[in-house]
Amino acid sequence: MQPPSDTALPGHSARPRSRRDSSLFDADFLTKLETLNLIARQLVRGRRSALRPSIKKGASIEFKDFREYSPGDDPRTVDWLAYARLGELFVKLYRQEEELDLWVLLDRSASMDFGEPNKFAHARRIAAALAYIGMSNMDSASVVPFDEGLAQGLPRMRGKGQVLRLMDYLENLKTAPATDFEKTAQMFMSRVRRPGIVVIISDFYGLQRARAGLDRLRFMKHQMHIVQVVSPWERDPPLRGELKLIDAETGAQQNLTITDSMLKKYKAAYEGLSTDLKAYSMKYAIGFDQAKTEVPFDEFVRGVLQHGRLLA
Amino acid sequence: MTLLAPWALWFLVVAGGVVALYLLKIKRRAATVPALDFWLSLAGQTKVHTLWNRLKRLLSMLLWLVIVTCLILALGNPILSLGKIKPRAIAVIIDNSASMQATEKDQDNLARLALAKQAVEQLSQGRPVADEWLLIEAAREPRVLQAWTFDAKSIRTAVENLTPFGGKGDVAAAVELATQLTTGKNDPCIVVISDGSASTVPQLAAANPAVLYWPIGATNDNLGIAQLSVRPHRQNGNYQALITLVNASDTKVDTSVTLEVDGRSQSVELATIEPSSRWEKVVTIEAPTGGVLRASLDRTDALGADNEAYAVLEPIRPAVVWLVTAKESAFFFEQALGSMDELVWAEESLTITPDQFPAAWLAAHSPAKPAPADAPASDAAPETHLHKPDLVIFNGWTPEKLPSQGRFVVINNCPAELGTTTSELPEPSLHLVPRAHPLTQHITLQGAKVAKAQKITLKQPARVLANSADGDPLLFLVDQPSRQVLCLAFDVVSSDLPFRNAFPLLLRNTVSSMHEDAPSWLRESYAIGDTVRPLRALPANTTTIPAKLLHAAKQEDLSLPVTTSSFAFTNTAAPGALRVEVGGESSFAAINIGDEHESRIAVAPATEDPSEKLGLTRGLLGALPWTMLACVAAVGVVFEWLSYHLRWTE
Repeated sequence: MQPPSDTALPGHSARPRSRRDSSLFDADFLTKLETLNLIARQLVRGRRSALRPSIKKGASIEFKDFREYSPGDDPRTVDWLAYARLGELFVKLYRQEEELDLWVLLDRSASMDFGEPNKFAHARRIAAALAYIGMSNMDSASVVPFDEGLAQGLPRMRGKGQVLRLMDYLENLKTAPATDFEKTAQMFMSRVRRPGIVVIISDFYGLQRARAGLDRLRFMKHQMHIVQVVSPWERDPPLRGELKLIDAETGAQQNLTITDSMLKKYKAAYEGLSTDLKAYSMKYAIGFDQAKTEVPFDEFVRGVLQHGRLLA
Repeated sequence: MTLLAPWALWFLVVAGGVVALYLLKIKRRAATVPALDFWLSLAGQTKVHTLWNRLKRLLSMLLWLVIVTCLILALGNPILSLGKIKPRAIAVIIDNSASMQATEKDQDNLARLALAKQAVEQLSQGRPVADEWLLIEAAREPRVLQAWTFDAKSIRTAVENLTPFGGKGDVAAAVELATQLTTGKNDPCIVVISDGSASTVPQLAAANPAVLYWPIGATNDNLGIAQLSVRPHRQNGNYQALITLVNASDTKVDTSVTLEVDGRSQSVELATIEPSSRWEKVVTIEAPTGGVLRASLDRTDALGADNEAYAVLEPIRPAVVWLVTAKESAFFFEQALGSMDELVWAEESLTITPDQFPAAWLAAHSPAKPAPADAPASDAAPETHLHKPDLVIFNGWTPEKLPSQGRFVVINNCPAELGTTTSELPEPSLHLVPRAHPLTQHITLQGAKVAKAQKITLKQPARVLANSADGDPLLFLVDQPSRQVLCLAFDVVSSDLPFRNAFPLLLRNTVSSMHEDAPSWLRESYAIGDTVRPLRALPANTTTIPAKLLHAAKQEDLSLPVTTSSFAFTNTAAPGALRVEVGGESSFAAINIGDEHESRIAVAPATEDPSEKLGLTRGLLGALPWTMLACVAAVGVVFEWLSYHLRWTE
């Protein structure tokens, strides 16, 4: 349920989408995209294109480990020299080489459609940029929006030629009322079984529920990266006095008296949200970046690439 | 507690508004937030004491009600009378006389009238609202500035619009008027705000318990011209000016008085005046053609208005004397009159016979100047270009009926309308009545021989100047409003008076004293505040009268509109002189304060404190309620501010 637009604070239109959408991906965007792609290519130079060492063990020329023989194992993998020396059967394990997919999970809840600059527009640009880089430098890339569940999204795309399709899709993407990341993670796990790189772009309100979803994804051995989108309004909301607050997602209303002390608490709590998210990411070796909407998307993506947090 | 400004209670509507706003829960601004739960989770931290928060809201409303109530009560200027002050009908008399224009050095050089206005304000603001008010101005005449009203603000407005009068005030008349107007009123009180008006007000207060004297002012530093009067000295051809100064201060004053005629200095008189005393001097003014005499003091004091005074010097003109006598008896009188060049206008004077008199009289009183209706008739053709006589001397003859206006000397006869001649007195002796009279000054008749006199029984009241040994009037003056007749009831020629100095002196005194001045259109002097009107009807077809108002600093040309053969000039607010031109004749009038008491500006002390007697609020009973209410309101605002900002905190 969307709150009426006339209830928004001056200067903080919650619905500036129509104007943004028309100029979401312009020619300048494509130019910036190509620049980012060149940067990404330099970073992955010297490696085999589209290949990443898999955490799975499989058939390749690179040895990884031994294990005891069990019935059914391929006899060709038995290490006979070890048997001669130790008198026990061991099989050789090799690192499996497989295709690497990039999954960009994009939060399209109503809370994202907020702020000036708009968080959702900013998130879509980042998603497009990452997907483009993934299509160019990895095996495949896909952008899958989520709200209360996982949307159909785009099928896996390969090569830069899919970029227009990607942009069309993102440009026409609408927000949905609410979000449930735990359910989203569950649906993603059932849809995508092969580990890949998963980038989650969201504002991460309701971190407790989001954390459960992140845990599920983490258990699936995905290489995860979190992008928290924040707007200046959220960091320092210009609210004072007796107000009727309206939830952007649900339209629920609540009368509140916002004083200076309460604002202090809010800022501390909002800062705490980012801090908790960052602590969680560090704990489980998950990439984390905060995308401020006032920072151009290309600058943000370049930072992510240069610091090797995504492509390393 | 009584409110001095109960209209403030209308603001209680604001209190109603506060309640209404709280009841309606002040309309809040709507703001969309990305995640309301996030805010609610914060609010939840502070909603531990929900009941307390609700109470705080209620307390907030109550606090605002207290604040608003305090402010409204403070606006109403409350007083704590404790039942001592009860509603009264108060007639306020504000003295607006010249002495109230005196400035007080110790009070920012404010005029006493301004201080009186402040007193009225203090009085009207310090009394309960149920009082009924009346405001009277004590100026030249008492005037009601504000009729009875319960609105004290009207009193303040009326007194604020009061303009200084600057002339003599009549406080007694104002008190009398106030007494009449307070008849039947509830607990009446007459408050006289004045400088005492030369102790008049304390006396009034002592005589009438309802009168309360509210003294204004303190200074007595004033030296003023209390009087400036002038009389012509015809025999000398000059004027004698009597000037009176009053020193109201308690110090000896040395000053100088400058006398100017038409702006030209005539004399500077040095004066030393003892404290609270007066100084008088007669100064001779040489100004044969007349003019405006101005006297001024060079001393700066509290009251500047009485530092100058004006007087009018009417031109001294020789008298036109008609001698009506038989030709054979004329010589002696003609010689006597001819020796008085400075007093008698020889060119216009006539010697005529009794037969010629009626025609000459008619000619002198031409149709443009109608002769009195009772003038004697004559068939003779009137002569033309005759000047109207100032004095007519009838020798041995009188008309059957004397003209009703004029100055006449009758010798050896008595008009029938004045007395009856019963017989003759053979060789009576002539005795002067001891009482001094201008006509008989410097004369001695001791031993004068009279050959023949007439025994006269007077019909009219007359002043007998000389009589016989038996008391028969031989020289008497009938002084009537428009006519003077000096009657000599004996034959001068057949007496030995021609050989003595007495008769020429008597004749000189008569010509100089019984000189009818040219009629002026104005009175000689007016008091400040008087309305100047012409003394008689103006010529027909006159629409405007040119006039000039002369002050020390300026001359103002005026044009006075004429309605119904008269005009009214009311701008007599300051000392000066007024000149009007009517029919080619100039008439002058002096305008002065005209009262010595106004120069005596010492303030009469009051026997009791008026503010205490009236129960006016002050000190603890006055300022404290207002201050306390304002403080409570201020504390309430601070508390509410803190409450507002701490409302969502632990």
